[in-house]
Amino acid sequence: MVIVFQSKPSLIAGGVVAGPLEKRSIFSQYFDATFDDERWQMKTNEQGHRKMVEEACEFAMKKAGMKSADIDYFMGGDLINQMTPTNFAARDLDIPFIGLFSACATSISSLIVASLLTEVGASKLALAGASSQHNAVERQFRYPIDYGSQKPQTAQWTVTAAGYALVGKHHEEYPSIEAATVGKSVDYGMDDPFHMGAAMAPAAFQTIQSHLEQRNQKIYHYDLILTGDLGQLGLKLLKGMFLESGIKSEELQPLRDAGAEFYGQDETFQSGASGAGCSAAVFFSYVIQQMRAGTYKRVLLVATGALLSPLTFQQGETIPCTAHAIEITME
Amino acid sequence: MKLLGIMLPLLVSLSLLSGCGEKEKFIVYGSPENEKEVEAILKEQKFVDKTTVIQYDNSMLVAVQIKPWDKWKKTKLEKKLQKKFDEKYPNKDVFVSADYKIFYEANKIKREQVEDNKLKDKIKKLKNLAKEET
Amino acid sequence: MEKEQYQQLEQNVTPKPPYFKNVAKAFLVGGLICTIGQAVSLFYMIFFDFTEATVGNPTVATLIFFAMILTGFGLYKKIGQFAGAGSAVPVTGFGNAVVSAAIEYRSEGLVLGVGGNIFKLAGSVVLFGVVSAFFIALIKFILVTIGVVSW
Repeated sequence: MVIVFQSKPSLIAGGVVAGPLEKRSIFSQYFDATFDDERWQMKTNEQGHRKMVEEACEFAMKKAGMKSADIDYFMGGDLINQMTPTNFAARDLDIPFIGLFSACATSISSLIVASLLTEVGASKLALAGASSQHNAVERQFRYPIDYGSQKPQTAQWTVTAAGYALVGKHHEEYPSIEAATVGKSVDYGMDDPFHMGAAMAPAAFQTIQSHLEQRNQKIYHYDLILTGDLGQLGLKLLKGMFLESGIKSEELQPLRDAGAEFYGQDETFQSGASGAGCSAAVFFSYVIQQMRAGTYKRVLLVATGALLSPLTFQQGETIPCTAHAIEITME
Repeated sequence: MKLLGIMLPLLVSLSLLSGCGEKEKFIVYGSPENEKEVEAILKEQKFVDKTTVIQYDNSMLVAVQIKPWDKWKKTKLEKKLQKKFDEKYPNKDVFVSADYKIFYEANKIKREQVEDNKLKDKIKKLKNLAKEET
Repeated sequence: MEKEQYQQLEQNVTPKPPYFKNVAKAFLVGGLICTIGQAVSLFYMIFFDFTEATVGNPTVATLIFFAMILTGFGLYKKIGQFAGAGSAVPVTGFGNAVVSAAIEYRSEGLVLGVGGNIFKLAGSVVLFGVVSAFFIALIKFILVTIGVVSW
């Protein structure tokens, strides 16, 4: 089933903060701030991660002229165990808090919940988003940062970034949230944590197809269908699945991936960017700003996430993934 | 520039090839007795590449370098040589070693032209060094 | 799309790792590390009183020291991305695994953090190294007792 927001909640503002390496991103001009120290001068990576979340929220609130006391809900998540950076940021923001985990798809799952709360009239202003910090994630999911392991070409780089959006009641001058599709947990038998794009592409395909079908739309109805972090290879696979289903390749022109484009052509980052902060950073800076400038009138934001843990991989499990989609329009 | 282009590779190859000359493969230092005999025994063994023999009085230090492919059996060949020397010179105190350090030190003794009275101590010291385990 | 169909698509799209290039790079870097090790050994034999039999210890210690410096400055991971097994297999790779874990877990304190996690990556090396040494020694002991080989 697709969720249709009759009241069309507005995406009022977005706050995006990123780390030193992300200065090299082609989207960096749209970010609100990039820091030179990936720990934000805190003692640990996890503390820096928390600070980053707070900064992103501050930017979003400031743009709307609001403070924490004016916000009804804060929802978000990250990739760290028990989502502690976001939990601790919530403590400092002092707003009613719903923590959500959809791995790298959290940016959209939290946006969907915020939109629902706004739709039923329970929220006037809500913060929704996600974040990731490269060092903290690598330590948890893979190897210590200084370890000399060789990453294959299919690997992706977890970004250090936080993106939070302020969602409120409908207002004409802001982009409107029209509909959303909640994704299932989809497993096509991929088991390589260094090739997440392949694991996530089927989930993105299913969600996009379902949304288009339920909304009676085709790809050409959209100026942009932006997936979160499939990477260059994952995007190729997604396009391959559409081609297989009968769509012609010219029609796939609106289909892009934030992770694949994030670092441009820089080969240091192999297949592209990933992480909960990747989709959040690009969606809530580049996309919102381009929509307000009139470049895009109708976009489908599809955040993708891989629902694995280091333990499941060691236990020989495959990688189930999910993708959540939200349709945003600008008159 | 062109001259350098010719001279440089020439110089490099010459300096590399200089090491291929027939260096002294067999050296004896100290008392010259039995020199021919010892040389014969060592030259007979196909696996011996270079040797340096230091002898004084009744003690003899035979430092050998084994040919590369035979180095796999270094300890076995070392023992074989030791046995041969013990049979040939039962009343002498002969010590055979295939260790590089001992060979290097033996060459150093020859290079520095160590006096006779110090030779016995040096040989003893090298013998103890070769017996070290850790 | 069916699972099998997708897996086929994935096989077609995913680029094959450049095996030949990787092997060549690993060979060169691994060989270079071993050459440096040989140079270190020669250094100890010439300038100190180490024999071929005893020079192993200081050589390994020195190589691990180099690995520690390179790891601390974030250079070893760059070598590792280039060389793969060439830098992971030699003892410097072991040093890198231990030192990188130590650096990473410092934020959790010395005892539980560093102490508890320092062998996270290298633990398997230590365990399986000791176990296989035991079994090899056992097999040799049996063979010697039978009389097939000698010590």
